[in-house]
Amino acid sequence: MNKLIDLQNITKAYGDNIVLDDLNLYIKENEFLTLLGPSGCGKTTTLRIIGGFENPDQGNVIFDGKNITKLPPNQRQLNTVFQKYALFTHMSIAENIAFGLKIKKKSKSYIDDKIKYALKLVNLDGYENRKPDSLSGGQQQRIAIARAIVNEPKVLLLDEPLGALDLKLRQDMQYELIRLKNELGITFIYVTHDQEEALTMSDTIVVMNQGYIQQIGTPEDIYNEPKNAFVADFIGESNIIAGTMVEDKLVNILGTNFACVDVGFGKNKPVDVVIRPEDIDLVAPEQGTITGRVTSLIFKGVHYEMEVMANGHEWLVHSTDLSPVGAEVGIHVDPFDIQIMNKPESDDEEAVILDE
Amino acid sequence: MVKKFIQKLYIALLFLFLYAPIAVLIVLSFNKSKSRAKWGGFTLNWYKELFANEQIMNALYTTLVLALVSALIATIIGTAASIAMNSMKRTPRTILMGITNIPMLNADIVTGISLMLIFVAIHYTLGFTSVLIAHITFNIPYVILSVMPKLKQTNKNTYEAALDLGASHFYAFRKVILPDIFPGIMSGFLLAFTMSLDDFVITHFTKGPGINTLSTKIYTEVRKGIKPEMYALSTLLFLSVLTLLILINRAPKEETAKKNKKQRIHNESKRNYSFLKPVIAVVAISALIIGSLVGMNSTSGGDTLNVYNWGEYIDPDVITMFEQETGIKVVYDEFEMNEEMFPKVETGAVKYDVVCPSDYMVQRMIDADLLSELNYDNIPNIKYIGKDYLQSAESFDPGNKYFVPYCWGTVGILYNKTMVDEPIDSWGAIFDEKYKNNILMINSVRDALGIALKYLGYSLNSTNKEELKEATQLLIDQKPLVQSYVVDQVRDSMIGNNAAIGIIYSGEAIYTQRENSDLVYVVPKEGSNIWIDGWVIPKNSEHKENAEKFINFLCRPDIALLNFEYITYSTPNTAAKEMIEDDDIRNSKVAFPDSSIISNCETFQYLGDEMTAYYDEKWREVMSQ
Repeated sequence: MNKLIDLQNITKAYGDNIVLDDLNLYIKENEFLTLLGPSGCGKTTTLRIIGGFENPDQGNVIFDGKNITKLPPNQRQLNTVFQKYALFTHMSIAENIAFGLKIKKKSKSYIDDKIKYALKLVNLDGYENRKPDSLSGGQQQRIAIARAIVNEPKVLLLDEPLGALDLKLRQDMQYELIRLKNELGITFIYVTHDQEEALTMSDTIVVMNQGYIQQIGTPEDIYNEPKNAFVADFIGESNIIAGTMVEDKLVNILGTNFACVDVGFGKNKPVDVVIRPEDIDLVAPEQGTITGRVTSLIFKGVHYEMEVMANGHEWLVHSTDLSPVGAEVGIHVDPFDIQIMNKPESDDEEAVILDE
Repeated sequence: MVKKFIQKLYIALLFLFLYAPIAVLIVLSFNKSKSRAKWGGFTLNWYKELFANEQIMNALYTTLVLALVSALIATIIGTAASIAMNSMKRTPRTILMGITNIPMLNADIVTGISLMLIFVAIHYTLGFTSVLIAHITFNIPYVILSVMPKLKQTNKNTYEAALDLGASHFYAFRKVILPDIFPGIMSGFLLAFTMSLDDFVITHFTKGPGINTLSTKIYTEVRKGIKPEMYALSTLLFLSVLTLLILINRAPKEETAKKNKKQRIHNESKRNYSFLKPVIAVVAISALIIGSLVGMNSTSGGDTLNVYNWGEYIDPDVITMFEQETGIKVVYDEFEMNEEMFPKVETGAVKYDVVCPSDYMVQRMIDADLLSELNYDNIPNIKYIGKDYLQSAESFDPGNKYFVPYCWGTVGILYNKTMVDEPIDSWGAIFDEKYKNNILMINSVRDALGIALKYLGYSLNSTNKEELKEATQLLIDQKPLVQSYVVDQVRDSMIGNNAAIGIIYSGEAIYTQRENSDLVYVVPKEGSNIWIDGWVIPKNSEHKENAEKFINFLCRPDIALLNFEYITYSTPNTAAKEMIEDDDIRNSKVAFPDSSIISNCETFQYLGDEMTAYYDEKWREVMSQ
């Protein structure tokens, strides 16, 4: 697979604050890649370095085989959609969309065609003469996307584009973006702190924290097999429990042995165990691997959220079946639902250095 | 109810206080009578005369060009500075903002004097360009003040978005940032324009000879009394500044409205400005061209003469005649007070060639070694100056080395003969109980104390503290009798029959008598002040021979006569006096009192800093009782 963008040993600091520390990452052609992480993790800085708005202190940005580290933004074959739309408020929608094309000195008929095409693509036909201020947030964001894509970039950078929208609109726009990406057939690099957004849209998710990449993988990989406690905690809800790998395929959690599928951790090795709340089955006490008592119950719509006290640990459980507070229950987890992770040996290793 | 009424009353009073003076000014500009105290019917004459007056029109032209060019340059620099500051880090930006705000908070006079000192220090000749630089300097903060908030409002990402779409930095600025901050730039420009139009103090200190803005022009007129044209001019100035202010305030209003009713009003405001753009561009370019032309004109080259005279103290035709006869270009500058002229000559900010100070100031300038001795070979017309006057001048210029008399006059009593019992011939009248509340006393240290000293039989240059204490007490005792302490207003009050007795300069007396025939001028028998203004040549003059030619020209009887008719102050030129056609004036005891009266009079002398302070202290004592 082609590496379209290759970030090599990127380091960036603002004063004493190191935002990115020796970051390596490549992006394949035609990929929907999401940089996911909490605020301050360096994801936006990474995007801005790709866009050319920031220069890395060290390292190179390779685009399509060429080193573009020092190239100013207006000479890069990529376009950005900004979080706050950044539309030109004194121009009409058509003028906004035509902005880049006019600079490229395209013919008027070409520009007109492109405007029509782009507006159709974002489902806003006939908005040519409106002013940005008269549009809703979602519509403005679509215009921002239209303005970017008419330039036929090889890569579209999106910096939390849905951050300012309300929940319903955000969900609609997620599908819209997937559709757009498929129709355009270009690479999307998407920045967000919303794990649901990332899981819904991405081909590849890059989880970042404190300037380091924590894990790279498909949404399923990231969700089902988090590499460390941070990823597990950040992506969805999890029970993260300290345990000991007794031997291959057997882990001791809170004094009880559980069958699992993981191998190669060695014998009697301390590990972190991740169990997703929906992977815990509450069964009759005698059928459970361990037993406990339900201490709280909240109705969440799709499922019930329960907390079960067992072996001195509060287990978070999601289930469509209700067990009332105070009920004695057995806990059962299928072996392939138990995810074993190495314990970090030092703070630095909390960041998994990736070199795939 | 009552509360509301009081609120309204309070507002009404507030507005009355603020606008009553301006209203009076505007009304007076339509007053047919020259007096400020009498309404003589409606007229537009003053406006007509205003536009016919070449000097005023020149000043108006200078003012407008100055305001336009300085506002324009300040807008460019200020906008660039704002953009730079906006992209700075927080701390340096805050510091820099503070620094740029200082000129706004600073007293104008401090800014003015410091600018003048800088120009002097770097040997930059004061002229149009120096004023222009000064105006740009104090205008920049106002531009920054109005551009900065607009810049902060702009979404930083829009600029990046433009770059992202392929725009160069300049193109992105022009297409994206500029339209966003344009309202701020516009109001900054208008604010700067208004400030420049408005400024007096800074202009006053940084202008060179021959450059007058409206405000400095009005100021120089003060001594001879403000002419009604000036009311008309001030009215126009007020109205134009008002219009500008309304324009400026309209812009932010639209901004706030925009937030509520976004698209419609927003679009309108944008359209307004975009319509203005080409107009501004054209005006700006022409202003720049005109500005540079004016700047070039004012740079004195070739055969010139820098004259520094009192406002309205020469017949403008005389200057034209002198230029035609000699080919020397006169650069003419005006002052309003001796004390104002002195530092300008002393610092050498402008190298004046010929200056017209008063008696005591001549003495001070001689003491400070500022004057150059006259070469009388070049001033043969000195023979037309009366011996008496040259002799009087010896009291401050021994040997007549430096000074040629130009105008002179006395200080005396002006009384309304219908309002007093018998002819007045003594200072006693102004200390007389029976004229209680009918006396207008002069509000001036040396004049007031001088009168009291003379009445007590002492010299008006007394340095004897006992005598001064006595005089002070006399003035304190007089206070209950005085209707008001005035300087300029005496003319109008006396013309309007508002008081029986006033103290006035002889030159003004002739004018008041023309307006009100009941008025009589007398120099009291105890003696009074005789003042003489005349020409001297500063040491740093670069055209001494031209200066002497000029003095000689002014001593020519026909020229002296022209000036006498224009200024109406007594001329020491005896030949000119004989040429006066009007018998009444030629024989007027006001304009030309008998030498017996003059011999009783004294000129003021400069008494040194310490005595001057003592006089001031005594006068404060009188005024504060």
